Amino acid sequence: MDPLLSVRGLTVTFGSFTAVEDVSFDIHAGQTLAVVGESGSGKSVTALSIMRLVELGTRGKIEAGEILFRNSDGEVIDLVRQREDQMREIRGNQISMIFQEPLTSLNPVYSVGDQVAEAVILHQGLDKEAANERVLDMFRLVRIPEPEERMAQFPHEMSGGMRQRVMIAMALSCDPKVLIADEPTTALDVTIQAQILGLMRDLREQTGAAVLIITHDMGVVAEVADDVVVMNRAKVVERGPVTQIFESATEPYTQALLASVPRLGSMTGLDKPAPFELVEYQP
Amino acid sequence: MKQITARIAWSLGLILAVIVMCFTLIHLAPGDVAIVIAGDSGAGDPEVIAEIREDLGLDQPFVVQLGGYVGDVAQGDLGTSYRFNEPVTDLITTRLWPTFLLVGTAVSFAIVLGVLVGVFTARRPENPISHGVTVFSLTGYSMPVFWTGLMLVIMFASNVRWFPVSGMRDVRLDGNWLEEWIDIAHHLVLPSITLGVIYLAQYSRLSRASMLEVLQSDYVRTARAKGLAERRVVYKHALRNAVIPVVTVAGLQFGQMLSGALLVETVFNWPGLGRLASDSVFQRDAPVLLGILICSASLVVIINILTDLVYRLIDPRIRVGGAS
Repeated sequence: MDPLLSVRGLTVTFGSFTAVEDVSFDIHAGQTLAVVGESGSGKSVTALSIMRLVELGTRGKIEAGEILFRNSDGEVIDLVRQREDQMREIRGNQISMIFQEPLTSLNPVYSVGDQVAEAVILHQGLDKEAANERVLDMFRLVRIPEPEERMAQFPHEMSGGMRQRVMIAMALSCDPKVLIADEPTTALDVTIQAQILGLMRDLREQTGAAVLIITHDMGVVAEVADDVVVMNRAKVVERGPVTQIFESATEPYTQALLASVPRLGSMTGLDKPAPFELVEYQP
Repeated sequence: MKQITARIAWSLGLILAVIVMCFTLIHLAPGDVAIVIAGDSGAGDPEVIAEIREDLGLDQPFVVQLGGYVGDVAQGDLGTSYRFNEPVTDLITTRLWPTFLLVGTAVSFAIVLGVLVGVFTARRPENPISHGVTVFSLTGYSMPVFWTGLMLVIMFASNVRWFPVSGMRDVRLDGNWLEEWIDIAHHLVLPSITLGVIYLAQYSRLSRASMLEVLQSDYVRTARAKGLAERRVVYKHALRNAVIPVVTVAGLQFGQMLSGALLVETVFNWPGLGRLASDSVFQRDAPVLLGILICSASLVVIINILTDLVYRLIDPRIRVGGAS
């Protein structure tokens, strides 16, 4: 089956610094691809490049590569070559994104209901009333209790888990074909993390969207991913189905990343955690 | 609501403190009003002076004078002007609105234009116009108000004669209300630019810095990720957050602006409170001066309360009494 989104040889620079170098991967409909790696490995820049947000408000530039996307009409387009107005039609509509820190990712001066409704009004052309109905449905879908009351609340009046549910509701409100989640659980505590991951898995099954999840947490990868791309220092180190990566990773960097997950009893006989050995990727 | 009531109660205490302090300061100031009045009427002998002093209650002990004054003010009576022999309240009310008009126009001009300039330069920091605006802001910020006023008069009232040199109305004009307002607006241009330009410089720099920060924020990225047009991202999502510091500073600076108005009114012969204040200082007209000080202090307090209310409108985190 043809992939829904195919990144080919993507290279992104910030001035003389190369943040992403020759990165390629495919995502298929209804599947979850996890991009893992430590901070600064280029995961988030890859995600922002797919949305072409890396060129807005930052000095980032897509130097090479193509991002082929099969749009709602079944046509394959290269996102790198789309004009800004064409990208605006795609952003939040066919490809949407949720971010790491839900408190700072929501505008503090507008109610959460208005912020979600804005995307619906923009892309689906609904009036305010119909948009609010749609927001209510989305809040119910992401299991926000008392959705009518919650719609009028401001981000600071909600808990971290609720805010992230609002972000997910916003991202899914226009039935996107691809959902990009950039470390969606990093800012949440462990029980809420499990709830959000469970919710994302259920929603993927319900909507059939492809999910690209960016994380540095191998626990999250094991929980949700079908396929894994491991990145280090702007490059893809290893890729494969999740079982293969966990059971028989071939690259020393992937093995070190897997070994860095603390296990019960791993500290027995030690008075402090063992330092993480930096492994350089040798292509 | 409870917070606002507490603020009002606290403000009344503050105004009382201002009255006591100003009254004491004026009392301690050198010079005797009785001598000035007697001198003006051409009768300088000690008996007349003593009589004037008795009439005005200046022979009473300081505490009695202060107590009497505070009691009168509490009833809305600011006394009678020594100079004009008119109730101070009447004098102030007729002069208040020209000052309001001047300060209000200058503030609006400075905030609206300052924020627009700030947004423009924040969005296009490398544009040559942005550099030009930055230089202009610095120049505007460095110019003393009275000098700016004089330069504008020389350039636009004396050389090219686009605007009148001074005053608020053309005495020769005999027209309907619309023509009168147009005439006032014509007279208002140079004084309000003079007063506003220094604040324009400050607000444009402040909103530029604030906008640059807000444009890097996560919620602006979310707004872009929704597919919103850049104009909507900037003017709906970023601007409302970026103007919060401008509102704070504008509220705090209102007092400064009133004192700036004093200089501008003197330069442009604008019939406002500032000119009345400077005339009263030279004529030792203590009741008028005190009335103006109380009026200005009250205005500053009221504006601060209004600033708080505007804050609440802009930023819902303040409405519930603090962010989580």
